[in-house]
Amino acid sequence: MTLFDVVFKGNDAVYGLTENAINDAIAKYGEDKAVSFPDTAYCLPCYYAVTGVKVTNLKELKEALGVVKTLMTRDQKLNDAFMSGVATALCAEFIEVLKYIDGAAPYAEPYYGHLADAIIRELGVPLVTGDIPGVAVILGKAPTAEEAVELVKSYQAQGILVTMVGECIDQCLSQGMKLGYGVRVVPLGADVTSVIHVVSVALRAALIFGNVAPGDAAALMKYTMDRVPAFVNAFAPLNEVIVACGAGAIALGFPVITNEETFRVPKSLIVQKDVSKFNATSLEARNIKIKITKIDIPVAFASAFEGEIIRRGDMQVEFDGSRVDCVELVHAKEMSEIEDHKIEVIGPDFDEFPVGSKQSIAYVVEVAGKNMQADFEPVFERKFHSYINCIEGVMHTGQRDMIRIRISKATFEAGFRAKDLGEVLYARIKSEFDAVVDKCQVKVITDPAECTRLRHEVAIPMFDKRDERLSTLTDETVDVYYSCIMCQAFSPSHVCVVTPERLGLCGAVSWFDAKATNELDPAGPCQIITKERVIDERIGEYEDVNEAVRKFSQGALEEVSLYSIMEKPMTSCGCFECICGIEPFSNGVVIANREYAGQTPLGMTFSELASMTGGGVQTPGFMGHGKHFIASKKFMKAEGGVQRIVWMPKDLKDQVGERLNATAKELYGIENFTDMIGDETIATDPETLVGFLTEKGHPALGLDPMM
Amino acid sequence: MSEEFKLTSVEEMEAATNRLLETGAKVGADAWQLRVKNQTPHCKFGEKGICCRICAMGPCRITPKAPRGICGCDADGIVGRNYLKFTAGGGATHSDHGREICHTLYQAKPDGAYKVKDPEKLIRIAKEWGVETEGRDIYDLAHEMAETALLEYGKPFGNQRWLKRAPEHTQEIWQREEIAPRAIDREVACSLHMTHMGCSSKPEALIRQSLRMGLADGWGGSMCGTEFSDVLFGTPKPIDTEANLGVMVEENVNIVVHGHDPSLSEMVCEYADDPEMIAYAKTKGAKGITVSGVCCTSNEVAMRRGVPMAGNFLQQENVVLTGACEAIVVDVQCIFPALGPLSKCFHTKFITTSPIAQMPDSEFIRFNAATAAENAKAIVKMAIDNFENRKPELVHIPQIKQKATVGYSVEALVKVLDGVANTQVDEMGTTKPLIECITSGVIRGAVAMVGCNNPKVRPDYAHIEMMKKLIANDIVIVASGCSAQAAAKAGLMDKRAKDLCGAGLKRVCELADIPPVLHMGSCVDISRMMILVATLAKDSGLNISQLPVVGCAPEWMSEKAVSIGNYVVATGIDTFLGVDPYVAGSETVGKLLTEGVRDWVEAAYTVETDIEKLTDLMIERIEEKRKAIGI
Repeated sequence: MTLFDVVFKGNDAVYGLTENAINDAIAKYGEDKAVSFPDTAYCLPCYYAVTGVKVTNLKELKEALGVVKTLMTRDQKLNDAFMSGVATALCAEFIEVLKYIDGAAPYAEPYYGHLADAIIRELGVPLVTGDIPGVAVILGKAPTAEEAVELVKSYQAQGILVTMVGECIDQCLSQGMKLGYGVRVVPLGADVTSVIHVVSVALRAALIFGNVAPGDAAALMKYTMDRVPAFVNAFAPLNEVIVACGAGAIALGFPVITNEETFRVPKSLIVQKDVSKFNATSLEARNIKIKITKIDIPVAFASAFEGEIIRRGDMQVEFDGSRVDCVELVHAKEMSEIEDHKIEVIGPDFDEFPVGSKQSIAYVVEVAGKNMQADFEPVFERKFHSYINCIEGVMHTGQRDMIRIRISKATFEAGFRAKDLGEVLYARIKSEFDAVVDKCQVKVITDPAECTRLRHEVAIPMFDKRDERLSTLTDETVDVYYSCIMCQAFSPSHVCVVTPERLGLCGAVSWFDAKATNELDPAGPCQIITKERVIDERIGEYEDVNEAVRKFSQGALEEVSLYSIMEKPMTSCGCFECICGIEPFSNGVVIANREYAGQTPLGMTFSELASMTGGGVQTPGFMGHGKHFIASKKFMKAEGGVQRIVWMPKDLKDQVGERLNATAKELYGIENFTDMIGDETIATDPETLVGFLTEKGHPALGLDPMM
Repeated sequence: MSEEFKLTSVEEMEAATNRLLETGAKVGADAWQLRVKNQTPHCKFGEKGICCRICAMGPCRITPKAPRGICGCDADGIVGRNYLKFTAGGGATHSDHGREICHTLYQAKPDGAYKVKDPEKLIRIAKEWGVETEGRDIYDLAHEMAETALLEYGKPFGNQRWLKRAPEHTQEIWQREEIAPRAIDREVACSLHMTHMGCSSKPEALIRQSLRMGLADGWGGSMCGTEFSDVLFGTPKPIDTEANLGVMVEENVNIVVHGHDPSLSEMVCEYADDPEMIAYAKTKGAKGITVSGVCCTSNEVAMRRGVPMAGNFLQQENVVLTGACEAIVVDVQCIFPALGPLSKCFHTKFITTSPIAQMPDSEFIRFNAATAAENAKAIVKMAIDNFENRKPELVHIPQIKQKATVGYSVEALVKVLDGVANTQVDEMGTTKPLIECITSGVIRGAVAMVGCNNPKVRPDYAHIEMMKKLIANDIVIVASGCSAQAAAKAGLMDKRAKDLCGAGLKRVCELADIPPVLHMGSCVDISRMMILVATLAKDSGLNISQLPVVGCAPEWMSEKAVSIGNYVVATGIDTFLGVDPYVAGSETVGKLLTEGVRDWVEAAYTVETDIEKLTDLMIERIEEKRKAIGI
């Protein structure tokens, strides 16, 4: 017998029962006897929703059965099976309504039977907000009472509304489980036909919330499929009637998960022999993602802690990417490669480090999802800063391989360990990016050798590849830029304007990242900025950009230029990878990067320079920026471009040298431009520097003074 | 997706063509529509396959009064020989295309015009062939694989390596029936040897060799073409594109690529995207450069790059008739010699590139792998320079086009299927979800719609109308070649076409987020369909011939199509034709093809020129196959 034949057989059986029941009722009460469910404005809600016809008495009920018969076509096609499923459901509703004749109360404790309109209205909001992420319909008898209880409890813990039909109710009661609408477990009834009372809820929801016109069956089925996150768990053995009801559920978009060996239909009829996996199987089948609200760590997690500073004296341990190898990374993988919620710690835990010591750390968050794209990786990474900062007593700065994390003594003493870092990342990624992340696992690595390997062999090539993609785009070839206000927690009036040739000053938000962030969350921190109304091409000023900056800085900032450090320079938050400042003796600029701890020819260290700017204030002559921006043709374009660079730390020179030389060659025809640039091995005072520059014939010396 | 979705009808397409033919009439252009009239009625002897001119004693024609040729060969022998020769022509063509791809792979370099874009696939095939991959430089491996593949064309002993991909049962049939193909070139030569004067005239022998010749194509040369094209240019993944003449952009320089071999068109697309070239086009008064395609070259670049499809086989003259085509660049196969004279009526440059396909009235830019980049750049530049020669009064681009999602390689399909599988219960990376849809009856079966256009059938009408009826009956379609383009032009590859399906296929399209007609590539890529059925058979434990799957070429015209038909049938898939393959002159050969071969390979042909009937026959066959396995 084909699957469809089983459905047809079950449908015929229920139809026969219904016909007899109606005939018996007419014989007993007469045709004019009123039929209705209590506390609903929708008569027989399912029949009304499907056909648009209100049934009020037995005569009309008999006519309605005639209409139901027309649905029961018998071609070997899914449409026939779906319609027979719907017909079966409608028959069930007819049988059920007969129980309510003369205001009878057919359902007594613990059963609910028909559910009032008021309950549906109450369910509307939590279903929309995801506070009730799904509706489970559990049918039949679990292999053991314990398994029934375990399954119901697993849904309960996720906030899923559970409705039950048949022996599973007795099984739960036998284990002393508390049931009832108050605890989101609703026993509907003992007979299989009582399942119609939850279908009735779904269909009334379509009428009430979905504005579906009664009788528009196509719109009704689309609404339930797209909007009502219900699914069925049907325990073996399945008889034809249950399969016919199942066809009705599937027609409405509700997958059926069963432990009976039967036909399989992807996403619709799923055989799961292991009842303990019904929960996970069902959620995946119905694309239900559970928001993780509580993170299981020994300290608090809240945005209140985001700006918390951990002083040196208060810290238990520090991970510092500017001194040792550290890295944070998101890696998209295949679904089969990831075990959800696996947290692995590789290397010594926090209690094995001397108090106040500097250590290596790397954390790799591996994600998979049917809609995941590799473009989203850096976007997730940028959120780590905020996530880790929200942990009570943990401070995080920087990004990529230039991170610094401090863990306070109090937090350590509360029991916070490496695994907890993984828990936070897991929980936040899963809940914030549930649209694309189906599975997530985290590796927290404190083994220094492995950190070194990860940083140099995995992460840096990956970062380079991301940067490389950018190098082919220019500001002129794109139609839009993006704003980025990811760090407004620290710097409420700072706004980055991210363009292909000017990445965010943190060095971590490229134009692609901003674009992906915008696609993931159109109302989020990165917004599209058009660039149609040019004010001044030379300094890169646009009316559209100014408007955006004004809006996103809440009016703190009026105008910015994209390509000048003297005129309306872009502001800095404090997360910048590098800072550049004018060096008056040479008409040039000095650049220092965050990792550089020594003196610069300006007489200031990076930290001192950093304190000059930041906080979202425009400081002409000083500007924070990303490393990648140094070799950009748009770097200080208004002041003459990269030829103004007179000094930078040697290490930084090595990092950007190749690209910077290429830019200088292209713009000015200068070969090996970096050889003309001073560094700490050559000079850390202006006089020696100018001497060196003169000797090299540095082009900045011949340029107009900047101020 | 807010705009309303509506299929483009064949009538609308015909109206657009008629408007273009008016332009043609103005400039005195010829057109296939006119040439068909001149050639009608066709020679009856030719049509029935009973004209023999393989020796200089003839030509001989069979009539009731003259039932034998001078040598004594009867109609059965003549029809059978002609059929085998036709097959050999097709098999040689596809296989030589595959050979070119192998040569291109052999010349791939990390810094060259051709690179290995899918190293994983290369390694996968190398492992399959037992070639050492551990610690190898990928280009080193590529070159060894290319050479190994090239040896498949002339190996002295043994059968084709790809045959091992077939289910055991199928391989046994091929061995048992002595149709497992040996070296590809040997099967071509053997076919031509058999059809020489005074060799085979026994229909069984000729048809048997036709099957082996076909298998040498589908499970040999074509498979090399497909697989190594993927290695070189990337394995197709779902990508959005558009189809029909409306994809040409009036303000832009329009370059149309046409033919079959992606090596040329990939490079042309590369340079048309080059900012330098775009800037150059702007200096010539154009807004940009639009590359679009015709025929299978179009399928190749659409699948991998989303390059839009201007049209299929019988639309090739239309692109020139728009008056907005700066250059039509062709490689090999299915190119009308008519394009030469036609291009002279317009400013269009007709650029031939292959020594295989040289034509009068064309500019010949000899393309080869070593100088590919320069050649492509020269072609793009020539097109740009030609923009200013347009005659504005002749420009008319019919504004009809449809959106399409294309690029369903077997690898991509498996990925789609993983998307509807449940990781808690299902094994990932298989075709099982599709098998479950079929066994449960949600999908009734699958039809592989392939083949050309042919003026003997109202162009595109058969493709489109059959597909509409099949999807309404919950039958999923995989399409390739000009059939796929007909579907795309109609809108059947727009995901919104799900609403034209029966409830079962519609639900599958919604859950898997696919269109009901899946674009699997060019005609060479019918080898993908072979791999798909082989995988379905292995994943389901059924024989290929038991699967409710059939093939159909309702508007076929080329020798390649007959070669394809032969390997599809020989693989165990019933194949339905809408045009007779010149065998009407021999009842024996006809019977052999439609019935007899079933005893050998568990499948046979059905020929029916009434398209409505042909569709119903396929649906019936699919339901019969379901019944036979009790689903």
